Amino acid sequence: MTSSRWEIPSVPAEAMALWCEALGDDNAIHLDPAAAEALGFGPRTVNPGPTNLAYLLNLVMEAQPGAQVRCVDAALMGNVLAGDGVTAQGTWHEDGTTCDAELALETGHVVLKARIEIENGRDCDDDGEGFFSQRL
Amino acid sequence: MNGIDPPHMTGPGYVIPPGVFDLSAMLDDAIRSSCAAPVRGGVEAHPIFAFIAALGGMGSRVGDVCRGLGLAFDSGAVLGRCRIDYDAPLTVDTRYDVVTSVVALERKSSRRFGAADHLTLGMTVSADGNRRARVRLTTIMPAFT
Repeated sequence: MTSSRWEIPSVPAEAMALWCEALGDDNAIHLDPAAAEALGFGPRTVNPGPTNLAYLLNLVMEAQPGAQVRCVDAALMGNVLAGDGVTAQGTWHEDGTTCDAELALETGHVVLKARIEIENGRDCDDDGEGFFSQRL
Repeated sequence: MNGIDPPHMTGPGYVIPPGVFDLSAMLDDAIRSSCAAPVRGGVEAHPIFAFIAALGGMGSRVGDVCRGLGLAFDSGAVLGRCRIDYDAPLTVDTRYDVVTSVVALERKSSRRFGAADHLTLGMTVSADGNRRARVRLTTIMPAFT
């Protein structure tokens, strides 16, 4: 097995508006620190979940340039707030097409896990419940 | 339904109108820049656009779907789980058709909320009649009591 690593030192608050507009997401926790704090997330805006998933895809894209992603199965277990530093780490299976990746805060707390499969000409394994069970 | 029975919920069968998503090269560039992704080399968009097109191209905003189902979207909804199966790469400067349905609506116990509603939506993203991606996502929010 081989491993890959990707990191971003500080998640930008200003990028969240772009993501919300593209996603059609009007959830105030992504845009208004006061709203995020009032709902128990703390005094900073909450990074949209798809942005966190994009970080794991970046990890795969940098490790396997030009490869096409076939499948993503992800469980989001925590939140990333504006200003947080995050690290993505991935472990590649022997076949070289499957990466088990996770995104962690600087504290080591894992907020996102995903199995990402790249071009291999077959459907992803799926038992009907997905690779990850719901953990929230 | 699991655990607590929420009698007001009628998720599957709730109609979400079809919609479209225009994926421009400019938007792909902006999204890549915002998340420190590698620069695009050809016409293939960042793979996260399967998710963005699915959610952004729904005929209704996800918040409105949740509110329409009587769910507490504005009380701190978060994305819980997602699965994306790619049939072909998404390309820039392409219009995508998005068809969405409610797959499941369940109430479950929650460490964070006590009880939470889990809404799972299924989307198909297509261009010119050819399927590009299937997306399934679960949004979790505290249950109204």
